[in-house]
Amino acid sequence: MRFSDLIRMSAGNLWRRKLRTILTVLGVVIGTASIIVMVSIGIGQNRSLMMAIEESGSLTSVQVYNWGRGSGEDQLLLNDSMLEDFLAIEHVESVSPRLNFNVVMKQGAYICEWLQLIGVDRATLEKIPLGEGRLPDKDAESLEFVVGNTVITNFYNEKTQEYYWETQKIPEVDFMNQPLFTIFDRDSYYQSQSGQGESPKKYLLQASGMVEGDINTWNQYSYGVYCDIDALKATLKKIFRNKVIPGQPTQKNGKPYSEFCYEEVFVNVDKMDHVQDVLSAIQEIGFEAYSDAEYVESMQQQSRTTQLVLGGIGAVSLFVAAIGIANTMMMSIYERTKEIGVLKVLGCAMGNIRTLFLMEAAFIGFIGGLVGIILSYAVSFLINKVAGNAMGNYYYYGSSVEASISYIPPWLALAALGFAVLIGIISGFLPALRAMKLSPLAAIRNE
Amino acid sequence: MAGKEPVIEVKNLYKIYKVGQNKVRALNGVDMTIYRGEFCSIVGTSGSGKSTMLNMLAGLEKPTKGTIKVAGQHIEKLSENQLVKFRREKVGFIFQSFNLLGTMNAVENVALPLSFRGVPKKVRLKKASEMLDLVGLKTQKKHRPNQMSGGQQQRVGVARALVVNPEIIFADEPTGNLDSHTSAEVMELMRKVVTEQNKTLVMVTHDNHLATFADRIFHIIDGKIVKVEERDHSRDMKISEAATVEELLQKSAMEDIIEPDASETEEAKKPEEALETLRQKEIQQVEQP
Repeated sequence: MRFSDLIRMSAGNLWRRKLRTILTVLGVVIGTASIIVMVSIGIGQNRSLMMAIEESGSLTSVQVYNWGRGSGEDQLLLNDSMLEDFLAIEHVESVSPRLNFNVVMKQGAYICEWLQLIGVDRATLEKIPLGEGRLPDKDAESLEFVVGNTVITNFYNEKTQEYYWETQKIPEVDFMNQPLFTIFDRDSYYQSQSGQGESPKKYLLQASGMVEGDINTWNQYSYGVYCDIDALKATLKKIFRNKVIPGQPTQKNGKPYSEFCYEEVFVNVDKMDHVQDVLSAIQEIGFEAYSDAEYVESMQQQSRTTQLVLGGIGAVSLFVAAIGIANTMMMSIYERTKEIGVLKVLGCAMGNIRTLFLMEAAFIGFIGGLVGIILSYAVSFLINKVAGNAMGNYYYYGSSVEASISYIPPWLALAALGFAVLIGIISGFLPALRAMKLSPLAAIRNE
Repeated sequence: MAGKEPVIEVKNLYKIYKVGQNKVRALNGVDMTIYRGEFCSIVGTSGSGKSTMLNMLAGLEKPTKGTIKVAGQHIEKLSENQLVKFRREKVGFIFQSFNLLGTMNAVENVALPLSFRGVPKKVRLKKASEMLDLVGLKTQKKHRPNQMSGGQQQRVGVARALVVNPEIIFADEPTGNLDSHTSAEVMELMRKVVTEQNKTLVMVTHDNHLATFADRIFHIIDGKIVKVEERDHSRDMKISEAATVEELLQKSAMEDIIEPDASETEEAKKPEEALETLRQKEIQQVEQP
C-alpha cells in the first residue's frame, strides 16, 4: 500500500469516531501540556539564573582570598609576584587583584567612619555601570573614585547622631559637586577622638562618578567605593611613607613588605570547563579559593532535579493518556474485527494492517501533542503574566533579569511533540499486533 | 472437460477440528479439479464442510492433510504473509454480507483491493468506475453502502472482486442476504461475468436451486464430495447473451423501486430517490417512440 493511502485510511478511521478520538486526544493534550509546563518552569528558573550569572561574568573567574595571613613562618602573600605565579597556571587568562582600604570620610555635618575604598584594575572599573560622571582617572593628582549608589546611607549626622536607618532621611552629602574630607589613618583618628594625640591629616578628595541607580536599587557595585588600584597604591605609599600601611602584613621584624598584599584576587579562566582545574591548582598553592562555577553547578544540579521531579509529575498524566490511547485502539479493534478480516481476505498485507493501526495511534499522539504545545504556550504566558507580576523581578548577583518563571524553548516543544507521538505508537503497538494477527475468517462469519 | 487447463487441483484434502475431546472431520478426503473459465458451485447443508472447503481454497484456513494447488501454486505450504500476497494477486472474493466499508462510497470500495497493490489513486478510481459500469451501477457510484439496496451492494461486491482481474473468484453464499428476485439478478450477473470475462468462479451455497446457475455442481455431505453434476447452459446462455448490460440494469432498477428490498439488514431506499428514478424512467419512456 502507498504511504498516502495508509495515512488517508487511518485518518479516515479516526474521523469516523470523532467523539472518541477527541476524548482520547484530550488526554494526550493534558499530558503533553503538563509535562511541557512543568519542565518549562524548571528551565525558566535555570535560565534566569544563568542569565544573571552570565551578565556578571563571574562564571569563568576564580576568587582567591588571603585569609589567615600576617603570621607564621611560611606565610603566603597574595602579592604581585604571586599573581605572576597564577598567570603561569594553564588556562588562566588574566588576574585582577583587589586592594581594600578603610577610610573615614566627612562632608559638612555628615561622616562615615568606616568606608571601604576598593582598588581595582582598569578592566574591572570599566564594567561598573555609571549613573553620572566618569571613571576615576589613573593619573589624577588626588585620588578619584566612583561611589556606589547606596553608599550615602552609611553617612550619619555627627552632631545630631541621626542615622539614616533611624530617620530614613537621606544624608545631605553631595559626592559629585563637593569634595570629601578623607582620613586614611583611622588609628590616629580614633586616638584623637578619644583625646589622645593630634588628629591625622585630612585629604580633600573628589568623586568622579556615581554608580547608576538610587538608594533603593541594588547591583554588585552599589555598596563599594571604587578607585584605580595603582592610584590607590601610589596614594597609600605617599601617605604612609616608611610606615606600615594599616591592613598590610608585616615581616617578623615589624617592617612592611615592599610589595602590596591584596585582599582578594579574581583569576580569569579561558573556559568554564577549566575553572575546576585552576581552582584546585590555586588551592594547592595554599590559598582559599572559590568559584561561582561550583555554585552554579550545584544550582544546575538542583534545577535538573527539580525539572525531573516536575517533569515526572507531568509524565504521570501522559502515562494515563497512553493507557487511554491503548484502550481506544483496543476498543476500535474489537469493533472492527470483521472489517480487518475483510481487509485481510482482500489481500491487505499484514504489515500494512499493523502500520494502519500504529498510524492511528501516532495520529492521536501527534494531534494531542500539537494542541498540547499550543495550550502550554498559553499556560506559560499566563503563569509569567500573573505570577511574574506578583513576584516582580528577580535579583541574582545584583543584576536584574526579567522574570520568566516558565520558559518553553523550541526544543522542548519539539521534544514533547516527538514524545507524544512516540507514546502514541508505543500504546498502539499491542493493539496493532493484535489487529495484524486477527483471523481473516472473521470476515466470513455471519452473525 | 478434457483438454481444459486446471486452475484448482485438490487432492486428498482433510480438515480435522478438535472440539473438546472429540475430533470433527470437516473435510474427509476431498479430491476435486476446477478448470479455467468454469462456474462451479459447492452445495451442501450447513455443517457439510462446504464453507471449510472454500476457506481452504482461498487460503484462509490451513488443511490438516492434503494438497491444494491453485493457479500452479501449492498454497497449503505458504506462510500467512504469502497467503495474503496470494489472495492479493490471484483471488477475488464475494461475501455473503457484502462487507463493504461503511466509510467509503461505492467507487472507493471497489478501488480498495487495488490500493493494497499500491495502484495510484487516479488509476484505481478510474478502473473501479469502469467495473461499476460493468455491473450496472452507473448512477450510484458516489453512494455509501447504507444508501444502497442489498442487490446494489452485492453488485459493488462483485465489482470489487473483479477489479483486481483475479484468476479465481470465490463467492461465499453471495445471495444469502438477498431476496429471491435480487438473488436471481446477482446470479445472472455472475454468470455473465464468467462468460464474458472468462473468469473462474467458485461459489458456495446451501441452495440447490441457486447452485444450478453453475456449470458444475459439487454436492458435499459430511466432508465428502458425493456427486458432481454437470449442466449445459448453452440454451439459457443465448438468452443472457441477448440481454445487454443496460437492459439488465434497467430491469433491476425497476424491480428495486417496485419491490423495495425487504431484507432487514438494509435500509429502505429513500423515497425521494425512488421518485427521482421513477421520473427519469418516465422521461425515457416518453422519449422512446
